[in-house]
Amino acid sequence: MAGEEDRQGSAGPGGFSLLPRSLGVKVGILIGLSVIVAAGFIVYVLIARGTFEQTQRLYLITDNAEGVRVGSDLSFAGFPIGIVRRIRLRDDGKVRISVRIPVEDAKWLRASSVFVLDVPIVGAAKLRAFTSNLQDAPLPDHAERPVLRGDTAQEIPKLVATARNILESMEELVQAGSSLQQSIANARTVSERMAGKQGLLGAALGSEENAKKVLAAIDNTNAVLARLDGVLAKADKRVLSEGGLVDETQKAVVQANAILGEVRASLKRVDGILADAQVVAGNAKAATADLGALRAEVEASLRKVSALIDEINRKWPFERDTKIKLP
Amino acid sequence: MAYGGEFILRPRSWRRLGRFAGYAVAAALSPSTYTPAAREMAVRQIYFMAWKVLAGYLAFTAVLSLVLIEVVSSAAVTYGVSQYAIELVLRVLVLEVIPLMTALFVALRTGSEVGAEVALMRVNGEIEDSEQIGAMRLYNELVPRVAAAALSVFALNTLACALASALTYTVFFGFTDAGFEAFTRVVASVFDELVLVGFLLKSLVFGLAVALIPIATGLEAERGNPRSVPFAVLAGLVKLFFVVGAVAVLSLVVKYL
Repeated sequence: MAGEEDRQGSAGPGGFSLLPRSLGVKVGILIGLSVIVAAGFIVYVLIARGTFEQTQRLYLITDNAEGVRVGSDLSFAGFPIGIVRRIRLRDDGKVRISVRIPVEDAKWLRASSVFVLDVPIVGAAKLRAFTSNLQDAPLPDHAERPVLRGDTAQEIPKLVATARNILESMEELVQAGSSLQQSIANARTVSERMAGKQGLLGAALGSEENAKKVLAAIDNTNAVLARLDGVLAKADKRVLSEGGLVDETQKAVVQANAILGEVRASLKRVDGILADAQVVAGNAKAATADLGALRAEVEASLRKVSALIDEINRKWPFERDTKIKLP
Repeated sequence: MAYGGEFILRPRSWRRLGRFAGYAVAAALSPSTYTPAAREMAVRQIYFMAWKVLAGYLAFTAVLSLVLIEVVSSAAVTYGVSQYAIELVLRVLVLEVIPLMTALFVALRTGSEVGAEVALMRVNGEIEDSEQIGAMRLYNELVPRVAAAALSVFALNTLACALASALTYTVFFGFTDAGFEAFTRVVASVFDELVLVGFLLKSLVFGLAVALIPIATGLEAERGNPRSVPFAVLAGLVKLFFVVGAVAVLSLVVKYL
């Protein structure tokens, strides 16, 4: 032991040697340094915990505060801005999480801010704040806000069921002979044809012969159109040029007009003739009425003659024939 | 003669320890105790208990801290909880391992020595029977040793914890101040009021245990019987380890249950 002689000196009563000065200084440095470090650490911890900071309170209300503990952070954009100080079950069965936020960090929270409790599968629950509009009114002190809960664990069974459905559908799609496979095969055939000599037309019509026919038809149509062009030019000439169809037609129309005037005069004459004929017809009608009377008279006379003859016959014995012969 | 283990079960031994602790603490806190001779004695003791071993102890702490930090951080990365690695290191290393290690280190380094010294004094009749504890002799010889041991434990513990914290920061963030805010936040969440008070209380109790138990048990050596010295020393160490372990467990129980 290095200080054997020092200890020897201290062993006997009253046997203290004079303390070396450097020894006292060293011990003083050691103790002083330790005290400074310890005091500094305590001050550091108190500052870190915001003991000397001005804070404001925020009360978050949730149905289930599972996973939240005193000392948890409230984070905004991934940065912790507040610390959970107290968690209390209220009389109405809801949980009130009391969060302390330093006043200088409270600017990130606005009246329109939304608070979410996120419970990951591994690790502690996280309280998050979202502020969409930083121009809104600032969140007042002692504000009370509801917490939306995003529980990953609760979503998992649903997620697995959905994923299984999707996977089964995928399997059906992918297995050989499925409609997707057939579609892909067809698509390949089509694309091969498109890459062939007749290109897109061949792909659309199914074979090269059909495509050739269509091309030939288009060629013929082009030729016909060219001829039609010539025909139209000739027709144009015939119809619209000097002495053409339209010109002749105009002349014909003038002539027709003259003819129509003559026809109208003729018709007027016919009208007169018809009026005469009507008069003649009226006379004939009257004559016909006279004829009726004449006939009646003739008939009456005949009846009288007949009666006379009958009389004569009865009185005349030569003829016994009673048969009467009507005229 | 009693074996070391039996001292733990002897109520009389614990009563003697309690009485001695009461006298010693009262004496250590009263300014009149610190006569020039007593003060010199205390300084000398601190010099041997703390200053002489400071460099070696801090080197040992640094190596142990680095190993522990590496183990914890790589395990945390493996399990995907690296964001909790700093908190874990602070809780395990600074709050639990280093205070315990300091107490045991000082106990091994000086507890047996001081215990043997006191036991020999008792054998030689330099200290009267335990019933007369509180006599002048106690003030002159024992109280400065008690105060020195407690202060040594405090100094070593504080500096080792500071070193471990600094190493933790350096391993996780390197030689920049970029992570200071994040680190401060972790420190704030680890050291809440209860933990801070508990930590200071535990350090104090460790210091007192290391200072008091070997001396108090050394007084149990029998006058004129040199054979009783090893037993008294062993008993002091066993009792000390028992108390230190019990305090560590008790603080964990209070903190986490």
